[in-house]
Amino acid sequence: MNARVREPVLFLVIWVVIVSLLVFVVYPSIQVFLYPSKTDFLKILMNPRYQRSILNSLYIVVLSTLSATFLGFIYAYAVTRTDIPLRKFFKGISLLPLFSPPFMVAFSYIMLFGKNGLITSKLLGLQVNIFGWHGLWFAQTVAFLPVASLVMEGILQSIPPSLEYAGRNLGASGFTLFRTITFPLARPGVAGAALLVAIQVLADFGNPIMISGDFSVVATEAWMRVEGWADIAGAAVLSLLLLIPSFLIFLFQRYWVSRRSYVTITGKITQIDIQKTGKWIRWILFSICLALSLLIILVYLALFMGAFVEGWGFNWTPTLRYVKEILSRSPELTNSLVFSILAGAGSALFSITAAYIVSRKRFLGRRFIDFTCILPAALPGIFLGLGYSISYTRPPFDLYGTAAIVILALMFWNIAMGYQTGIGVFQQISPSLSEAASNLGAGSLRIFREIEIPLIKGPFFSAFIVSFIRAITTLSVVVFIVTQKNVVTTFSIMNLVSDGFYGKAAALTCTLLIIAFGLLGITKLVLGKNVVLFKV
Amino acid sequence: METIHLRIHKVCKDFGKVRVLNHVSLDVPQGSFTTFLGPSGCGKTTLLRTIAGFYTPDSGEIYLGNRLMNNVPSHLRNAIMVFQDYALFPHMTIEENITYGLRIRKIPKDQIKARLERTVAYLGIGNLLDRMPGQISGGQQQRVALARALIMEPEILLLDEPLSNLDAKLRINIRAELRQLQQRLKITTIYVTHDQAEALALSDRIAVMNEGKIVHYGTPQELYYHPADPFVASFIGKVNLIRGRIIENRMGNTWVDVQKIKVLVKNHFDHLQPQDEVMLCVRPETIRIAKASEEKEENAIPGVVTNYIFEGATIRYWVNALNQEWVVDVFDPVEVLPPDTKVFLRLKPERIHLMPARA
Repeated sequence: MNARVREPVLFLVIWVVIVSLLVFVVYPSIQVFLYPSKTDFLKILMNPRYQRSILNSLYIVVLSTLSATFLGFIYAYAVTRTDIPLRKFFKGISLLPLFSPPFMVAFSYIMLFGKNGLITSKLLGLQVNIFGWHGLWFAQTVAFLPVASLVMEGILQSIPPSLEYAGRNLGASGFTLFRTITFPLARPGVAGAALLVAIQVLADFGNPIMISGDFSVVATEAWMRVEGWADIAGAAVLSLLLLIPSFLIFLFQRYWVSRRSYVTITGKITQIDIQKTGKWIRWILFSICLALSLLIILVYLALFMGAFVEGWGFNWTPTLRYVKEILSRSPELTNSLVFSILAGAGSALFSITAAYIVSRKRFLGRRFIDFTCILPAALPGIFLGLGYSISYTRPPFDLYGTAAIVILALMFWNIAMGYQTGIGVFQQISPSLSEAASNLGAGSLRIFREIEIPLIKGPFFSAFIVSFIRAITTLSVVVFIVTQKNVVTTFSIMNLVSDGFYGKAAALTCTLLIIAFGLLGITKLVLGKNVVLFKV
Repeated sequence: METIHLRIHKVCKDFGKVRVLNHVSLDVPQGSFTTFLGPSGCGKTTLLRTIAGFYTPDSGEIYLGNRLMNNVPSHLRNAIMVFQDYALFPHMTIEENITYGLRIRKIPKDQIKARLERTVAYLGIGNLLDRMPGQISGGQQQRVALARALIMEPEILLLDEPLSNLDAKLRINIRAELRQLQQRLKITTIYVTHDQAEALALSDRIAVMNEGKIVHYGTPQELYYHPADPFVASFIGKVNLIRGRIIENRMGNTWVDVQKIKVLVKNHFDHLQPQDEVMLCVRPETIRIAKASEEKEENAIPGVVTNYIFEGATIRYWVNALNQEWVVDVFDPVEVLPPDTKVFLRLKPERIHLMPARA
């Protein structure tokens, strides 16, 4: 019997998912390819500004990836494999940036280490110009170190403890053990983490737009094309330059690195008994972790201070002016909140539904859904935002200045994470549960509602939270699609920072942080340990 | 007189609030095969890992030869372990795995080569050297793990349930090989298992452990026929345990009152006094079963067959006697006694073991 007749609802859902993906992921992406003419592409060869930004991007990606991965590994190793003090604290601190706007690090370091910086100028009396490649390198290292560290913590923890025991038992200890057993086993994971960091550094827009000054990278150059020259075609060409490497790295990651993983699940997992670390190593590692976590904590301290002083850098009088200003009128905050809730909920619903049909049903177009749902993870925010701007701000689809365009962009940009979580969960839930229900007479819809929904509540909420936080903190996706009418907070912050209004910008950033952490806290409280966030 | 190779003296180890090892003392003779046997959670693996140096005892001492080992870290002891999951390094070839320990010790290359050839020849794995651990079977992995340990010429070899991941047939083959190998090499070996059949088949000595203590340490025969307490008796083999009270005890003849039936035991239990509460320990294969007759018999207990299983070489009967269920094995059965048959269970006086009854 035909599925269309037997299960009309399922059939309809499959079609809604496929059409949505075509319209909101594939179409805007293709539009970016089609928009520029041949001569626009030739400008890559002709225009020195393009060339400079490409070289700059390459340079900063290599530098930041190396430093973030290297320090991230030390951090991960120290918190998982040694007995240094404050390990729990270090681990906790490194999670904070995952729930914060990415540009925050650059903004905060301008306030701390810039020309009028609290530390450089006020405390040390130095004249430092933080704007430029070194400032960007510094900010991105701190901004992406937590992701790198988190991935590598996972890798280190999944190495069966008996392998290290065996190494020790056969005579290896200390650095020999690390060199011959621990590190070789972690190496594929380290490579994976480095690639992940590289993609994120390359696609990062917020940090360079704030701190890189004249050192323009591809992402900021694309924005400049539109802002300065109204050259959408030029921006499209540049954002394609962002897309290609991150798409290749993404494919490489997905189809190569994941297969080379040594991590296997063996029968008996024994709790690893952490050996006493050598005294010198212990204190060196501790100092590094302490320094890195201080750098992270300082980011937040500076922002909260900034929200409560009159004029950062010259007038340190405490004030509540900015807080009051925000509370009395700030349409961007309301917009951010409403858009992100809708985008988060939409994204969670869509991605979990897609994950369900892909993992449980066989139908034409299944592989298309699988690929397209993960694809947005490989799309730089700048690229997707530009795609929406090209596709949906003119007839026949004119959503210019509406809430809808922002919500849809944020929603579809975030489906990958929820989708992957969903697939993971459905793989763990034995299909025999559904088969049993089916055997007892339940249809597809009923199985989904009565058997599987109760089991996926946790993943659904974590997908919602992650999407919500990413939506409310992103800058790159929205820069090309917001206007006066649908402006969001991150966009306002960018303009305030570039105009030097640090007080209000800091107050807005803090408000975003409070919303993000508040929601996170509430969810953890309500759902308990069921919610696993950012499991990479 | 055998020399003591490993001496464990009053070792205690706590994990948090749980006492995992509780004043464990044990002397292991040079060149012997000793098994730690017990249910899961009894502390046997912890004791093994403490000998390997993965855990430090909270109190007590461990001596290897005459050396106190308490504060010697694992990598400086030559107490080599074969892990339950083999713990082969997945990023190294079989050859690299086997020679790892020698390379760490910076043994000259030609010596490593010679020892490698000798070891793999012993274990018949010479053809696997270029493969990766993921490419060989479970039984082969087991041999490689053993080779990696043996090539070290360990002072003491530690085996942590090394056969538990193999299928039943392979397990029995490798068991026999392991015993032969150990006897040929004369390495002091400690083996951990929860499988009593394995322990009986392999060991010179068995230490039965329960709740962090060694409850009985002896040869397999001692454990089987003269278990220290009901736990050991029922952990090793099948056993019938019956309560009784001593009536008279003299010159190696002990009379026990078992619910008004007088049972004679001919084994020297000179420490027992009249009126002592005891537990009779009777192995199923030592009981003779016969149809009840009118005659009064010595050491015979009346009962009724409730069920049986025919297993070819034996028949196992379940018999209700003295208000409890008995198990009786009859070898080379001629006729089958169907359920409800009235029978006598004849107990051989020299085959009954007596234990102090628990309160």
